[in-house]
Amino acid sequence: MLRLEGVVAGYSAVPVLRGVSLAVDAGQFVAVVGPNGAGKTTLFKTISGIVRPSEGRITFEGTDLLALPAARRAHLGIAHVPEGRQVFPSLTVLENLEMGAFTAAGRRDWKRNIERIFSWLPVLAERRGQFAGTLSGGEQQMVAIGRGLASSPKLLMLDEPSMGLAPAIADFIFDKLIEIRRDTGLTVLLVEQRVAEALESSDHGYVLEAGRVVLEGDNRTLRADDRVRRAYLGM
Amino acid sequence: MTAQLVENVLQALVAGLLAGSIYGLMCVGLGLIFGVMRVINFAHGDFMMLGMYAAYYLFGALGIQAVAGSLVGPYIAILLAGPLLFVFGYAIHKTLISRVTGTRTAQLDGEGHYAQLILTLGIALVLQNGGLIVFGSVLASIRTPLSSSAWELGPFWGDFVSVFLNKSRGIAALFSIATIVVLALVITRSRLGKSLRAAADNPEAATYMGIDVDQAHRLAFALGVGITAVAGGLLATNYPFQPYIGLEYVIVMYAGVVLGGMGSIIGAFWGGMTIGLVQQLSTLVLPTQLQNAAIFVVFLLIVFLRPQGFFGRVVERT
Repeated sequence: MLRLEGVVAGYSAVPVLRGVSLAVDAGQFVAVVGPNGAGKTTLFKTISGIVRPSEGRITFEGTDLLALPAARRAHLGIAHVPEGRQVFPSLTVLENLEMGAFTAAGRRDWKRNIERIFSWLPVLAERRGQFAGTLSGGEQQMVAIGRGLASSPKLLMLDEPSMGLAPAIADFIFDKLIEIRRDTGLTVLLVEQRVAEALESSDHGYVLEAGRVVLEGDNRTLRADDRVRRAYLGM
Repeated sequence: MTAQLVENVLQALVAGLLAGSIYGLMCVGLGLIFGVMRVINFAHGDFMMLGMYAAYYLFGALGIQAVAGSLVGPYIAILLAGPLLFVFGYAIHKTLISRVTGTRTAQLDGEGHYAQLILTLGIALVLQNGGLIVFGSVLASIRTPLSSSAWELGPFWGDFVSVFLNKSRGIAALFSIATIVVLALVITRSRLGKSLRAAADNPEAATYMGIDVDQAHRLAFALGVGITAVAGGLLATNYPFQPYIGLEYVIVMYAGVVLGGMGSIIGAFWGGMTIGLVQQLSTLVLPTQLQNAAIFVVFLLIVFLRPQGFFGRVVERT
C-alpha cells in the first residue's frame, strides 16, 4: 500500500533521513521505533509532504506521492495524526472532527464515522461544543485521533500518540487504538517511543536510528533481538 | 441647558455608531486577512480606495445611475465593487503576495515578514500614485439624494430633545452590519469558513486534513479586500475622496484590529466600532482637529490595560 524506497530528506543541507526504505501492506499494523532524533517525525512529514525528499521514491497504492502537493495526499486516504496533537485550538471539538472529514470520503461517511468515533471516544461527544484549545492533553490526543478517523482513511499514521501524556492516559489511548484497529481492520503506521507496547501490538516493525533503518522484522523477531531487548525493552 | 447637552451627547453617540459600523466593516476586511494569513497588509487602505473608485465609476461612467436611478444605484454599484475587488485581491495574491507568504515562508528570512512589509508597502505606493495618474487628484464623491436628508428621532423628553440621523449614513450602517452578519455566518458555519479558521489555527495540521493552505490564504485575502472595498464604497456616499485616502484609514483600521484582538474577526468589528464612537464622542469635549489624537489616546489606554485586545486570548493550552 505505502512504499518508500531510499528516501533521503531533511530540513537544510544536512539530511535527517539517509536512505529509508519501508513498506506497509494493506491491513498491516506497522510500528517504527527508535530514539529521539532518529528521524521518525521527519519520516511522517516526508510522507505527508511537509518535507520534500531530495532522493528516493514514495508511492501510495501505486500513485507517486512526490508528484502531488501535500494537501492532495490526504485526499488519497492518508490520515496523519501529528506529533504533539496539533488540534485546531479555536475550533470546537466537533469542528475539528469536521475538518478531519474535509476529504470527499470523509464527507460521504460522516454520519457513520461520527457515530463510531463518539462510541470509541465518548469524551468527544460530551465535549463536542468546547474549544479544542481548552482541553487537556489526553483529550486533545483523542480529538487528533478522532480527526484522523473522520477522514475515512485507508492508512492511519500516528506520530507518538502517547507523547507528553501521563502514563495512565497514555495506556488508555493505546488501548483505544488497539480497540479501534480491532473493530476496523484499518492499516496503521505508528511511530512510538513506548517500544514495548508498540512492538507488542504491531505485525511488523522497523527500528530507525540516525536516519537509517537498522533493523526490521515481524513482532516476534524484533522482540527476540538482543539489541532491541537491551536498548529499548530494558531486558 | 441640560436638554441641549443631552441632545449633543445623543447626536454624537448616533454619529459614532454610524461611523463605527463602517469602520467596523473595514476592520473586518483587514482582520480577516491578518487573522488567517498573519500578514501585515499596508496596502489595505489603498484597496479600499480602489473600491471607492470602482463604485464611483460603476455608478457614474458605467451607467448604473442611468439604469437604476440615483437612489438605489449607488448601493448596487457598491455591491458590485465588492466582487470586482475580490477578483483584484485574488490576482494580487496569486501573482505577488503568495510569493512571500503561506507555505513559501519557510525558505525566507524572518519567516517572510520583511518581504511582506516591503511588498505590501510597495503595492500601496503603486496604487496611490497609479490612482493619482488614472483618477486625478480632484475630490470625487458618490452623490445620493439621501446624503442631504435625515430622519428625525424624537422629540423625546417633552419637546426638548431630538436627534437627526442622516439617511445615507443610516443606510450605509445597516448595509455594513448586514455584510458583517453574512460574513460571520460564512466564517462560523460554512465548510469554507471553518477551513479558513483551521488554516489560520495550524497551517501544517490543516494540510494534513487536505486543506490547500495557500488557496485558503488566497480566498481570505480576496474576501478581505472585497469587504473593505464595500466599506469604502459606503464611506464614499458620505465623504469625498481622492487617491491618497487609503493612508488616512489604514492606521485607523490597524488600530481597530489591534483593539479587537489580533486574529479575532468579530473583535475587529468591535474595534472599528470603538474607534467610530471615540472619534465622534471626542468632539463633545475636544476640537474636531483632535479627533484622531483622541482615538490614539484611547487606543494606547486600552492596549495598556488589555494588551490582547477585547477578544484576544492571553494563553491557549497546547
